Amino acid sequence: MSHARRERWIAFIMVLPSILLLALFVYGFIGWTAAVSLSKWDGVEPNYSWAGLENFRLLFSKVGGVSARRFSIDLWNTLFFTLFFLLLCIIVGLFLAILLDQKIRGEGVFRTIYLFPMSLSFVVTGVVWRWIFAPGAGTRLRGVNALLHAIGLNALRWKWYTDTSSFGPFHVALTPVIIAASWQLIGYTMAMYLAGLRSIPEELREAARVDGASEVKIYRHIILPMLQPITLSALIVLGHISLKIFDLVYTMTGKGPGFVTDVPGIFMFETTFQGNHYAQGATISIIMLLMVAVVIIPYLIYSFRREVEL
Amino acid sequence: MASVTYEHVYKKFGNVIAVNDMNIEIADKEFLVFVGPSGCGKTTSLRLLAGLEEITSGDIYIGDKLVNDVPPKDRDIAMVFQSYALYPHMSVYDNMAFGLRLHKTPKDEIDRRVKAAAGVLGIEPLLDRKPKQLSGGQRQRVAVGRAIVRQPKVFLFDEPLSNLDAKLRVQTRAELSKLHKRLATTFIYVTHDQVEAMTMATRIAVIRDGILQQLAPPQKLYDLPDNVFVAGFIGSPSMNFFDATLVEQDGKLFVVSDTFKLQVPVEKMGTYKEYKGQEVIFGIRPEDIHIKAYMPPGVVSADMKGKVDVTELMGNEIFLYLFTGKKPFIARVDPRAHVSPGDIIDLSINMGNMHLFDPKTERAIR
Amino acid sequence: MTKHLNPMRIGIYVLLILFALLFLVPVYVLLASSLKTFAEVQDMSKLWVPPAGLHLESFRAAWSGIPEKGLRGLSRNLLNSVYLTVPATILSSLLGSLNGYVLAKWKFRGASVVFPLMLFGMFIPYQSVLIPLTQTLAAIGLGGTLWGLILVHVVYGIPITTLIFRNYYAEVPTDLIEAARIDGAGILSVYWRVLFPLSLPGFVVVIIWQFTNIWNEFLFAVSILQKPELQPITVALRNLAGSQIKEWNMVMAGTLIAAIPTLLVYIVLGRYFIRGLLAGSVKG
Repeated sequence: MSHARRERWIAFIMVLPSILLLALFVYGFIGWTAAVSLSKWDGVEPNYSWAGLENFRLLFSKVGGVSARRFSIDLWNTLFFTLFFLLLCIIVGLFLAILLDQKIRGEGVFRTIYLFPMSLSFVVTGVVWRWIFAPGAGTRLRGVNALLHAIGLNALRWKWYTDTSSFGPFHVALTPVIIAASWQLIGYTMAMYLAGLRSIPEELREAARVDGASEVKIYRHIILPMLQPITLSALIVLGHISLKIFDLVYTMTGKGPGFVTDVPGIFMFETTFQGNHYAQGATISIIMLLMVAVVIIPYLIYSFRREVEL
Repeated sequence: MASVTYEHVYKKFGNVIAVNDMNIEIADKEFLVFVGPSGCGKTTSLRLLAGLEEITSGDIYIGDKLVNDVPPKDRDIAMVFQSYALYPHMSVYDNMAFGLRLHKTPKDEIDRRVKAAAGVLGIEPLLDRKPKQLSGGQRQRVAVGRAIVRQPKVFLFDEPLSNLDAKLRVQTRAELSKLHKRLATTFIYVTHDQVEAMTMATRIAVIRDGILQQLAPPQKLYDLPDNVFVAGFIGSPSMNFFDATLVEQDGKLFVVSDTFKLQVPVEKMGTYKEYKGQEVIFGIRPEDIHIKAYMPPGVVSADMKGKVDVTELMGNEIFLYLFTGKKPFIARVDPRAHVSPGDIIDLSINMGNMHLFDPKTERAIR
Repeated sequence: MTKHLNPMRIGIYVLLILFALLFLVPVYVLLASSLKTFAEVQDMSKLWVPPAGLHLESFRAAWSGIPEKGLRGLSRNLLNSVYLTVPATILSSLLGSLNGYVLAKWKFRGASVVFPLMLFGMFIPYQSVLIPLTQTLAAIGLGGTLWGLILVHVVYGIPITTLIFRNYYAEVPTDLIEAARIDGAGILSVYWRVLFPLSLPGFVVVIIWQFTNIWNEFLFAVSILQKPELQPITVALRNLAGSQIKEWNMVMAGTLIAAIPTLLVYIVLGRYFIRGLLAGSVKG
């Protein structure tokens, strides 16, 4: 063996443990989960007898009460949660980044305040916001409702995450959860945009200024278009977080009355580890994986193609 | 101290042939310079010798030893990188001692060699510093020092001066030449700068598209380039080339184009007579074109006219950008000449230094 | 160019301060509630009223529990979090460093396929591996143990730590490695003698990132560790807050205790924290 080949071999051996571990823990286990989702395993003891797509069919069955429709509700909830969460993070994050990019005195302090929630656990966020948005009732008002009452805005009082009303398939109870999640991740979005803004060379703005562009036009025609790749990254990262969200909702509201704040992550967890319906839990998780994969795989391919070109 | 031999060496990166059938024998104690435009394969040739790239086919010997499968650390070479590649976390002393420590050299021997090399290079006061605290020139010296302490059979240099400013580069050039004499070891040096090549090399290998174009001592390369590429690459400003025909008239031989007719010196007629009546590429260096009034004595000259386009006064000489017909060319002329753009002036061509090339093969006609 | 305070800039500052206050609302609630006495938090409409005095009884309760009410303290779980986070962080950082080195500087055949396949592992919903994971851990005798959870965090930490280190090492000039090879270093001694000493900033970024993530993690912990005395603080806190508890001052104090380690790291080493954040996203 030539020395070069021997060294490449050593290099390979060095990463082999990681490759094998990931091959097993990621790809092997996903395959295993897929097998469980096609099985009749319902109970503590494993049962791999073939069920075909029965578990998938059951998830989408419309027969029965609200429990039977739980997964459809979850998907709608995920859709609305993702939509509004992304919108809030992107808009407010970009807005704060642009504000902070105006040579602000005390920028570090503001940045630290906006970003600190990112260092917290979703569990911490969930506990605090659960406490803040707890509605209370009648004369025993709590949280935000107590505040609204105190300042005379009783009209704005509502039942927050315990409210069962909805606009079409959108449950209003999701709103407090969306606020909590955005509170945690707006700073992150802002940090991404700020890094993007800082990477735009000052000469470019100066050139535009010399060309007669106003500050607003500079943002509109030069800076925002250059931030597009960052928006894409942010959408992907935030999007995949929201598609698989669990800890925050589980801590803050749980599945809620009539599943108004339920998400597939909670459904999967309760079905599998509290109900022992393993096949059904595996089916939910496989669908979650597919949803995330649809977003992530094209992004990974896109990133690596770009890297090869560089 | 050792010779180096490339035998039919090929290097392919995918479909790109970076080094194409390289055959070079480098004698012990030579200062060989690989020169060529960027991407020509000169650095790859050096890296193949260092063992940093694997050869696709062929053999490389250091001394009598075939090193194809020898890892870099066992090739008994040292290398100075373009970026210097100093270990940022080590002091100058540790940078120089690193290789010796890896080769399990005794401590006092390391100390002796590092101090000796530092003495030669005048960097003793810097031994405790980190690379970050050094100037570009000092870093370059440390990189050379790191190579010297190893006492290798062959020194490899990959464009070691290209990160220095112009003045320091000239100074370091001379120092490297001295160092070569002092160490009496084989130096192999890569540069894109033909001035570096001309000033330091004992022999120069001109490379283009992975193919060795010519291997010769500097003066020979300059006087007798083997082909159009070498002729154009070596020398600044470049040699002028004209499409012309070789015509015989009244027993004399002329280089003829639409706009000039230059007589070939009698002593060269024998060399060129086979190309009589054929198309040739006529090459003449800018310094062999004189303004007629300032022609030095003893030159076998032929006359032509040129129209001045631009003049560049360099102080000790003038670069004239000229036209003959629609064909541009350059002359380096006596600074006393007073010419202005638009002038049509009389030129004398030193035909003793003329070059002719075959237009099909681009090879020199000799 | 000095910026004068024109109306536009005053507006910007007002907006920034407004947002900052909004972001700090939960902090106020946390601090105010945790400094109240049990009696004070009983009137939940007074949530927004500052505490009457500085009462630390809630922290004592959160730390050691209120045995007479059957409420467990979090001290044990905080310690569990430390036992979990420290080894998992160190191990996954070391693995990431080795992988990053190889992938950045010794591209073996197939590396360009292996790396994206590794990265995919950090995006998957972990629900999709949870069932086989609990089964496998039980089968190898690590079910329900801290070491099992450590193993899990090390394995699923590989993609991100490898990514950060690979990008970090990609910035180290390859010349340095080649110089070391010519000086006589092999693949391992290049790593140990040249690259590793240059890795401190990379390790700071990765360690902070892993520390924060593992400390804050919930799903693996709650699925793998059933015994309350083994659970890390996130799981214990959720169980405390999820019960029909009335001692909200204690819950808020517990939340603060759970948050403080990562918060401290963020405040002290924020620069590196942000670098880790961006490394995990901007470059896939």
